[in-house]
Amino acid sequence: MNKFKKFMALGLAAMMVTSLVACGGSTGNAKNKKSDSSKGTTVTFWNSFTGADGDMLVKMVDKFNKENTDGIKVKMDISSDFDSQLSTAFAAGEGPTMILSSSAYRFTYGDYLQDVSDVFDKTDLNKDDFIQSYLDYCSDGDKTYFVPFQVVGYYMYWNKDLFKKAGLDPETPPTSWDEWQQDAAKISDSTKNIYGSGISYDYAYQIAHIMQRFGGLAVTDDNGTWKANFENNAGYENFLNMYKDMVDDGDNPLEADTDSMMSAGQVGITVGGPWVTAGLDTAGVDYGIGLIPQGDAGDMNSVEVIGFGITTAASDAEKEAAYKFIKWWNTQDKDGSSPALEWSLQNGFPAYTYSVQNNKEYKANKKLSAMSAANPEAPTDFIVDSNFPGINSVLSDVIPEMINSVAFGNSSVEDALAKAQKSTQKIVDKYNK
Amino acid sequence: MEKIRKYWNRPSRSAYVFIAPSIILLILFNIIPLIMAFGLSFFDVPITMNHATFVGWDNFVEAFHDPRFINSLKVTAIFTGIEVPVQVLGALVIAAFISKNNKRNKFLRAVYFLPVICSATVIGIMWRMILHSNIGFITAALQSMGLGKINFMNTPGLTIFVISFISIWRSFGISTIIYVTAIQQVSPSLFEAAQMDGAGKILQFLHITVPSIRPTFWYIMMTRFAGALQIFDIIYVTTNGGPNYTTESTVSYIYSRAFSSNSSMGYASAMSVVLFIIIMFITVLMYRRMVKED
Repeated sequence: MNKFKKFMALGLAAMMVTSLVACGGSTGNAKNKKSDSSKGTTVTFWNSFTGADGDMLVKMVDKFNKENTDGIKVKMDISSDFDSQLSTAFAAGEGPTMILSSSAYRFTYGDYLQDVSDVFDKTDLNKDDFIQSYLDYCSDGDKTYFVPFQVVGYYMYWNKDLFKKAGLDPETPPTSWDEWQQDAAKISDSTKNIYGSGISYDYAYQIAHIMQRFGGLAVTDDNGTWKANFENNAGYENFLNMYKDMVDDGDNPLEADTDSMMSAGQVGITVGGPWVTAGLDTAGVDYGIGLIPQGDAGDMNSVEVIGFGITTAASDAEKEAAYKFIKWWNTQDKDGSSPALEWSLQNGFPAYTYSVQNNKEYKANKKLSAMSAANPEAPTDFIVDSNFPGINSVLSDVIPEMINSVAFGNSSVEDALAKAQKSTQKIVDKYNK
Repeated sequence: MEKIRKYWNRPSRSAYVFIAPSIILLILFNIIPLIMAFGLSFFDVPITMNHATFVGWDNFVEAFHDPRFINSLKVTAIFTGIEVPVQVLGALVIAAFISKNNKRNKFLRAVYFLPVICSATVIGIMWRMILHSNIGFITAALQSMGLGKINFMNTPGLTIFVISFISIWRSFGISTIIYVTAIQQVSPSLFEAAQMDGAGKILQFLHITVPSIRPTFWYIMMTRFAGALQIFDIIYVTTNGGPNYTTESTVSYIYSRAFSSNSSMGYASAMSVVLFIIIMFITVLMYRRMVKED
């Protein structure tokens, strides 16, 4: 009996640990089901919009379900664990009809996504209305994986009240990184826990947007071969030295959560996505928005594009029905309004079509105008060449390790860059094979 | 039919029928995934399970050459070393104070139990804000008392203690309630006899309470050990392994390798197997000790 008890105790301990990673299902590809028409079709639609924007998305989907005359029903499932949900579904040979995700998902789930380039043939959406660089971001060769839904750029935010208190002109934010550093020093006030600069050591996206202004892309295409670009990158070295100096001088907090500090009015200048405005508005902070200062790497408009993707689990009828939803999303009514415009205005994300950018209401919105001021011709690549499949590894492994080791004094800037080069080289080698 | 009825009507056999639903669920959701995890650890495969390549022991070799995995084992050991003794002994002491069934003690038990029923996400966000380096209530209070600015969540060497504290705060209520139940089962005559012999409260606690509830002590010890070695949720919400990976536990690292966009399911499974062996080893040692004492 004791042996049995022992066996059970061990078994239970084992299950508690190993079942964590083994929840994936069996392998297999989804089969396309055949159907003749999208009428009366149900479109399952998965995404991770769990915030206030998710509430709006629910309303918009409800609106479509009521308005569309084809009897199409979009059944949405919003999950904070969207990535795990999606990967386990694909592993089980299942999946939703349509997803909303970063265009970088094409590198991970490309085998499970259908080509959507025919959306412009099968609906009356005008391809020329879409900003080409954003469409390119969603494509790989001839295949288009996503139809743009939202453009996520990072912008500079500055607290006008803190600028005034420091004797700076609140309408003149820094236009270079030298000015950023100088303004930060003037704004910082250790007696009041106020920091001029708010760069987090734990926010890889923020750091990546900044460091690429200094030293360009971390992985480049060298005549068909991927090349890591950390070691001997003077721009990256300057960025890390600037960051370390500001932390040491007390002008930048050694903090993971700088967004909360910005909302609390204790950070002078920071960089973040459009969602930062929600916290600032709620807290009543008087702030300005501008483009991230350019550095030695030249003009750039680094963005991440979120798009509608159709999975291989979707039948032809479901794909057609999903196209109708995408078309509806981008179609103006007689008053010139469209769900895409409403989405931009309410959530503060810049538009990806010229028609929305040229809308009067959009133009009158100062925040959106500031965000849309980037040169659309400038390269949109974010931290690595936009076709490099290992972007997630660079963002989740290389950059955090590099910035942490510098921030906490574990290694010199040179050593941190050498280590980052080595780690990136490993990732690059995998894709160069 | 009669034969089948007779066969299953025996008490020893009908018991299997009653436990069948649990056994089926256990096999489906625990045993099979467990076997799959062992199998997966020999493959290079993403979570989508496509393009699987057999790599033999490579994942295990890689794990023992991966500084982050080694670091995560150290972090887990430190966390367990802090969390388990403090929780097991602390809860015992508190339980001794609130074991009598009066109104005050019932109220206190309810208060101690409250964090147990709260979600880890809520607890994590709450403590993250309370201990924020700049806008945290406790940080500001300590600063105003002249104790300087303590960066609880961003100081390597300190943050792991903060995480341990949050974890203990969250779960000591359940350990306390289990102890209270065990203490209440101890025969009052033992305490009366000791009192007549002149033993004070502390001596009664050490010589009557503690030996009498030893099985409960070992139960809490074993479950807390297994729980601490698998710490994940609080870390995920509060620090996500930072600063500088000083709070990245083994399960946090396994999760990041298994379920991130650059998923490597085979490697994550191999690390799970290593953790499983460690937990199994500790559990066997503790179980032997428990049986010996019984």
